[in-house]
Amino acid sequence: MTIVAGCDVGSLTSKAVIFQNNRIIGSSIIKSKPRPGDSAEAAFAEALAAAGVAAEQVEYCIGTGYGREKIAFVNEVVSEITCHGKGARWMLPTAETVIDIGGQDCKTMKIDKNGNVGKFAANDKCASGTGRFLEVMAKVLNIGIHELGGLSQKARNPVTLASTCTVWAQADIIKFINSGVPLEDIGAGINAAMAARVAILVNAVKPEGDIFMTGGVAKNIGVVELWKNSSANASSGPGKPIPKSPGRWGPR
Amino acid sequence: MRPEIREYRYDWLMGSTLKAAAAVPSGSKKETEQTYRYIPNYQKVAKTFYSAGEPGVLALKLLATYFENILTAHDQGKPIAATTFCNSPVLLYAMDVVPATFEILTALGGVLWKRGMFDYMDFCCEIGMTETSCSSQRGAMGAVLSGLFESIDFVVCDTPGVCDTNANAFAFVSEYLNKPFFQLNYPSSIGDDRSQNYHVDDYKAMIRFIETQTGKKLDYARLAESLTEVDRQDALIADLEDMLLLKPMPLPPLFSLALYCGRFCFSGHPEYTRLLESLVRSARQRVADGVPGLKSGKENLRVFMSYIDHYTVDMNFYNYLEERGIALTGSILTRNFRDNNKYTADMPGSSYSIDLSSPEAMLNTVAQMNARLPMVRSIRGPYDRPGMWLEESLALAKITQADCVIYNGTPGCRNTWGMVKPFARDMERYGFPTHIMYDDAFDDRVESWSNTRERLDEFFHIRGLL
Amino acid sequence: MQVFHDAATQVQCPSIMDWKQSGRPVVGYTCSYTPGEIFHAADILPVRLRGIETDGMEVGDTYFGPFICSFPKCILQLAGKGKFSFLDGAIITPGCDGMRRLDECWRKAGEDFKGIVPDYFYYFDVPHKSEDHGMSWYLDEIKALIEGVERHFQVNITMDKISAAICEFNKGRRLLGEIEDLRAKDDVVVSGTDVFAATVAGTVMPREEYTEALTVWVAELKKRTTSLSRGKKRVLLIGSVSDEIDLFQLIEDTGKAIIVGENLCFGIRYEGCEIPETGDPLAALASHYLGSSACPRMFGKYKERLQLLKERITKSKAEGVIMQNIRFCDLHGAENALFERDLEAMGIPCLRVEREYGPHIDAGRMKLRIAAFLERI
Repeated sequence: MTIVAGCDVGSLTSKAVIFQNNRIIGSSIIKSKPRPGDSAEAAFAEALAAAGVAAEQVEYCIGTGYGREKIAFVNEVVSEITCHGKGARWMLPTAETVIDIGGQDCKTMKIDKNGNVGKFAANDKCASGTGRFLEVMAKVLNIGIHELGGLSQKARNPVTLASTCTVWAQADIIKFINSGVPLEDIGAGINAAMAARVAILVNAVKPEGDIFMTGGVAKNIGVVELWKNSSANASSGPGKPIPKSPGRWGPR
Repeated sequence: MRPEIREYRYDWLMGSTLKAAAAVPSGSKKETEQTYRYIPNYQKVAKTFYSAGEPGVLALKLLATYFENILTAHDQGKPIAATTFCNSPVLLYAMDVVPATFEILTALGGVLWKRGMFDYMDFCCEIGMTETSCSSQRGAMGAVLSGLFESIDFVVCDTPGVCDTNANAFAFVSEYLNKPFFQLNYPSSIGDDRSQNYHVDDYKAMIRFIETQTGKKLDYARLAESLTEVDRQDALIADLEDMLLLKPMPLPPLFSLALYCGRFCFSGHPEYTRLLESLVRSARQRVADGVPGLKSGKENLRVFMSYIDHYTVDMNFYNYLEERGIALTGSILTRNFRDNNKYTADMPGSSYSIDLSSPEAMLNTVAQMNARLPMVRSIRGPYDRPGMWLEESLALAKITQADCVIYNGTPGCRNTWGMVKPFARDMERYGFPTHIMYDDAFDDRVESWSNTRERLDEFFHIRGLL
Repeated sequence: MQVFHDAATQVQCPSIMDWKQSGRPVVGYTCSYTPGEIFHAADILPVRLRGIETDGMEVGDTYFGPFICSFPKCILQLAGKGKFSFLDGAIITPGCDGMRRLDECWRKAGEDFKGIVPDYFYYFDVPHKSEDHGMSWYLDEIKALIEGVERHFQVNITMDKISAAICEFNKGRRLLGEIEDLRAKDDVVVSGTDVFAATVAGTVMPREEYTEALTVWVAELKKRTTSLSRGKKRVLLIGSVSDEIDLFQLIEDTGKAIIVGENLCFGIRYEGCEIPETGDPLAALASHYLGSSACPRMFGKYKERLQLLKERITKSKAEGVIMQNIRFCDLHGAENALFERDLEAMGIPCLRVEREYGPHIDAGRMKLRIAAFLERI
């Protein structure tokens, strides 16, 4: 049975996945090395080991991510956006809209029944609206980023903060902390600011049908719930938040 | 846009709120106090207006009427024109057109509504408007384009070449809604014959456009009535301008907002005359009593806003001025540049006069008056040229004895951000400590009010002003 | 071809420096409203001001505020660093708010950086409408500009000389038109990058030299048989001002696309349009430079611009349109949204992307979006 693979070399993490018979038989996520080629090799090797197959057995491999041009062993390079569309449709066959909020960017896209991407939108400003925004804010609050999402549910009076610029938002947070504003209210304000920026991008592609959410920020329940509440089109809600898994889905 | 924002149309929401707010003080003091319990989100704003006395209440009534006019325009067979604050409504009213002035509509939402206009602004971005476009149009635009406003019949603006982001917003609206569009266009200079003639030629073109849209010819008798009222208003404004020169200044900070808001909404209308009369009465009384306009009774500082005020949220800016004892000597928005104002004396060609002797004379009057509205007057050309922003700011800061100058705008303000740094440097060279605010006058998400306020305090403290 | 690439990629390109060495003046101008023919008629080299080769922004950022498009900032940066020291004059037009502020920012920078303001520094007031009194105003501005140039440079600009200049410029325009015809074929033998280099070169090269080089090049192109477009997507590039060959290369270096047309300010829409050679030359110049302007700064003309775009798409057989706007360029940024709406409704795929111009160009981010778009169409 045909074995295919995909390798995604990102700036922070690199991932690889091995497929056989339309099932994942091995995958890996590693911290990216300075050279994209090295990251790809390492991630691929780990995924192969997990799958228990040798590199020679892989018939076709897709490369994606910012370092995709530097991966020596791939047969084809495809943009992450296209890969996301295919992957989302594979994981959630009813998905028609995909939202990916990673560490450094935020993308939304409409996909057809084959996972082909139609309209897509991506953030064109700096860090605000990306996972980096949440990372910086969590650090200022001295909490783990995984703790940020839950604060929204406990908040009574979420703050409004300068969300257009991460640096100025940071200044606001410090002020709130010094003023004794409850942590929950600050956290909820951060999540709300993030959700609002995500909502603009999502609504720009006019989401329809089931919405699949991926990227690290998808794990932030505060952002996800707030965004759902602000979007008239949020239907069955986000799919199970998954780390970005690379490559073309399905056998070639 | 959050679903709850779609529950009410913006014009109805604001109109009914303002109508109710204007009616509250007509009850007893106890009834007013009781009402506060039911408006926790508007309480601070309501108190700010009510504490200003009769002028505050008249201002609320004027604004309520503004929305009432929009809401009933089509029922009365009147078209609604989307327009900008630098386009005088005098002509529109004379031709039975109801103006929907975007910047006023945005500012009011920011000032009066605790959640601000953010959802509407973001809606514009969702449909493709750039986020860097000025927030002053984007708030109202979002309401209009999302269908949460009475429908617009045509669009007129006069900001090409003066404020492209402004003109662009109106052009976008006209294309998005497929409505007719007209732009008045100003040359880069003012006061010279060539520019004056261009003003008239272009204004005539605008009249032809509106005549086509309304199917009616301009009635010069009605225009004469409006301009006669403008004449009365200009005399009252000149009185207020004279009082701005006094130390301590008898005008509370809120009066500045009422003065220009009223002019942009109802120039040439009796509502505005009544408001001005009340402002003048109130100010004169303070002069007679020897009390400053500030509630604290103590004027610590005099500030000239070289551009615009700050409008979000909850009237924070105006209350901050009261809190710090800062007298507001006005802004670029406050001035009408009628020839009866002292500050025009040192700026040849800067002012307009009123001449009702013939239709041509009236046309010239209204064209020159329009050309002297804020921004279109002094932001149209290089800032250090005669009659432009530097000359204007220096003249006004000097005559009003301002201790310092503050620039406040929005990130969308390409025309001022293009040169505000050299401008501020020049103001400093002329002896005026000048502070550049990096916030957004209509959108707190750019810089929160608490940060804005802190930076203002820092400026006043470091420069030894407060 | 090398002469085009040199001119398109170097601020102080050999063509300009050779002219300068001959002892004749050079006058720079911003935007597309200054008739180069006026200067050609006075034996002055008109050079459109560009922002290429900027490698910092400390001068630009000192005078311009933060919320300004980087194109005028780059021009100011170059001026501050002395890169425009060859200019004997500069004409600033109010193309847009950002560009018009170049007037005072450059002059104010000149107070701090001595010698960076050319001797002849002129503000050319261009209206935002071309009808009636707008056109009259512009015509008067042209006349005033001519008088100003005559006075300062001690030259005599006659109507005959202007007519001759129009004829000379038209030769180049016609040749560019022939190139557009080649690009419209099913098999395209020339890359968008090369064509754009040639088009941009025309804004800075002495006209006779340009015409001669273009004539040779077009003849060579007509002999080419190797298709550069087979297996590639045909795309049209539109949006904010761009003088950047890099931007074209970014798209074409993917190996998956060929740019078969553009609708950019430095491009064919101005450089390729012929001006009538008979009749009143000043009226002809005014009618072309203002009347034919397809910039969104001429507010209220969206439908005309959309029509122009549709014609370009049809002629070039473009399969998709890449719409870029420089950050803080509200005019193109907003109009691109309307274009996207209308073109997508007609089944023409569009990519809208906001970007930086100059030293901060974010190539990596752009590449991702372009790649995804090409995979889509």
